Amino acid sequence: MKVLANFFHQIGGMFLFARQVKRTWLCTLGSNTPLVIEQVGSVGLRSISTVCFAGFFVGAILVIQLQLMLAQYDASAMLGGLNTSACIREVGPLIISFLLAGKVGAYTTAELGTMRVTEQIDAIRCLGTNPLQYLVVPRFVAIVVSSLLLLVFGLLIGLFGSMVVASWLYNINPLQYLQSVPRFCGGWTVFCGVAKSAVYGTIVASVSTYKGYNASGGAKGVGVAVTECAVYTNLLIVFANTFMSILLDGMHEIFTMVVG
Amino acid sequence: MALKFYLLNPLIAFLLGAREVGFIFFKTLMTCLKGPHRIREVIQYMYSIGVGSLPIITISTAFAGFVVTSELAHQMDTALHTVEMLPGFSGQFVFRELGIVIPALLLVSKVGAATTAEVGSMKVTEQIDALRLLQIDPIEYLVYPRFVASIIVITCLTLISIFVTLVVAIAVAVLKYNFAVLEYTNALTHFVANKDLVCALVKGMVFGAVVPVISCYYGFNCSGGAEGVGNATTNSVVTSTIIVIILDFVLTFAFSLVL
Amino acid sequence: MSIIFDNVYKAFGPKKILDGVSFTVDTGEIMFILGKSGMGKSVTLKNVVGLLKPDRGNVFVDKMTINELDEDGLEGARKICGMVFQHPALLDSLNVYQNVAFGLRGIPEARIRERVLECLKLVHLDESIFKRKPPEISYGMQKRVSLARTLAPGPRYLLFDEPTTGLDPITTNAVNELIFELSRKLKVTSVVVSHDMGCALRIADRILVLDQGKVLALGSVEEIKKSPAQLIRDFLMEAI
Repeated sequence: MKVLANFFHQIGGMFLFARQVKRTWLCTLGSNTPLVIEQVGSVGLRSISTVCFAGFFVGAILVIQLQLMLAQYDASAMLGGLNTSACIREVGPLIISFLLAGKVGAYTTAELGTMRVTEQIDAIRCLGTNPLQYLVVPRFVAIVVSSLLLLVFGLLIGLFGSMVVASWLYNINPLQYLQSVPRFCGGWTVFCGVAKSAVYGTIVASVSTYKGYNASGGAKGVGVAVTECAVYTNLLIVFANTFMSILLDGMHEIFTMVVG
Repeated sequence: MALKFYLLNPLIAFLLGAREVGFIFFKTLMTCLKGPHRIREVIQYMYSIGVGSLPIITISTAFAGFVVTSELAHQMDTALHTVEMLPGFSGQFVFRELGIVIPALLLVSKVGAATTAEVGSMKVTEQIDALRLLQIDPIEYLVYPRFVASIIVITCLTLISIFVTLVVAIAVAVLKYNFAVLEYTNALTHFVANKDLVCALVKGMVFGAVVPVISCYYGFNCSGGAEGVGNATTNSVVTSTIIVIILDFVLTFAFSLVL
Repeated sequence: MSIIFDNVYKAFGPKKILDGVSFTVDTGEIMFILGKSGMGKSVTLKNVVGLLKPDRGNVFVDKMTINELDEDGLEGARKICGMVFQHPALLDSLNVYQNVAFGLRGIPEARIRERVLECLKLVHLDESIFKRKPPEISYGMQKRVSLARTLAPGPRYLLFDEPTTGLDPITTNAVNELIFELSRKLKVTSVVVSHDMGCALRIADRILVLDQGKVLALGSVEEIKKSPAQLIRDFLMEAI
């Protein structure tokens, strides 16, 4: 019971914090664009190679698994479409954002946490600058923007990776592979992938800035904050994944009902 | 010059790192054969790794099972215009991929991060040097118990998560797509063989062996105070995740030839 | 024109940190706040700049009631109160020049440069370290840069939170000299939180001793030396 209460307490804290960050951001809109751009650059460059790696192999693993199943039904022709659809809608965003939670989230928590316990955040306040505006808002916005970009990029690499593996291991012509893609992936699939990516990016940003900004208790406290950040991010991403799937399915049904 | 800076130096650093990881791994294996077996530490770590991660892994895999089953049904609906094969497909997917990778990735971010942070702060506070002076080998004392505990625990966790995911998948199939429970389990026995389970456990054990070695390696090699520990933790989690994904690819391919 | 604590209470959970503390810091003096670790010295200091708010009681700085101001209102108070933290608390991503110039806004670039140089000179540093990042200079230097950063906006009160903790004896002396010199040269009021009775005896005008969240003694160096309280006797023994 205590664990559960603590969990909800933390989630509530995160929501309030994210709302405060949003308000600060709206109040000072545009005034820290250079800081945001700098952060987007640093976050993006730091993670791009990892995301490429992960994207490639996630696509590859999925190809092997699906091929194993589809071969039982002689349906290898559909491999490209099914694989791309699964990759974009579900597995890609999930695994890549797990990775971003470890890479970007943990880094941000450690950075902000260290600034907190060495009193740098207090020093900024004393010098008349709002630390939320100066430190948190640029990082928050940058994580959301760059994780969206990184996820989209990773998904493209995943598509490429699965194509390469399919043609290499199962002799499926890349052109044939690509041809089956539009049969399964329309604009809606892409929208699902992007929407999920945006939500996961926001989760990584909220949890990591919240945990870092509220770290306490010296170096050890920063370590605890980093570990908790990783756990909470992953857990919330899994929850959000379910929620988003239901929500998007519902939207899709309503959409097809209205149009059809 | 640029070539040297961007390509050669990272490559050399990578090879040196790989050599040291190999050394730690080898030494740990030797300890497994020779002892001392430190049963008490092993059990203690099993408790802290296993019991600590059980709730999060159960909850996460349950949710993941729900989403992936719905997703598979959706895919099959678009591809084959029928969800008839849902039991077989979802069962296979749970046994071969989902039930193994999700707990492994969660274990990386929870246990791997905690291990690096712990070993790293021991390193920067010179506790590891102190161990050496007391004639205790840090690999035997710190890596070995975690290694054994992690392998045993992840085997159990893989079984648990496969079970949980399967239950959720059956629930989705029954409640949403009107399968009968027996229908599902029949299909399952038809599509999933014993060797699937064996392969799943082998995969899990490999992941379980990788995580403590990598995270202890990063812990041993961190320097520069609190900031160094933070950096080491981040790097450890990312490297472990990537290695788990790559190993998953290799093992999946290897097993796909066998199955 | 002074800092006044009027019957201030502050607790963290069940733990009482400040239990009815009242005192006044007069203009131009150097006041030392002494006490054992965890006796609310740093908390007292953080109340002055509104980083913490008291549970009860009032804190006045120049007739501003700090505990009733919001973040915007506190900006005025923070302009006249400079705080030097226990750690140097320099921003690692910025170089020395940018760090010192951090609190200077709304004035022309040339004027900022002039002011930064002026402040670095006050702490016996010069422009040769402008481009260095904080981790690249020694800890003692970081402390001085941190002091220069606090001086830059031209505060009338300087608050030092354990300025000499973690420094070697020689640097400790240098920092203490610096506090004394700056207070006299710039005619600012200084409040120094410390547990070093030795330097308090040397440079303080008045000394305040906190114990169990209450004011144990407050007076000039001579008065403190004559105090019968056991804690103060222990501190004095340590200093000799």
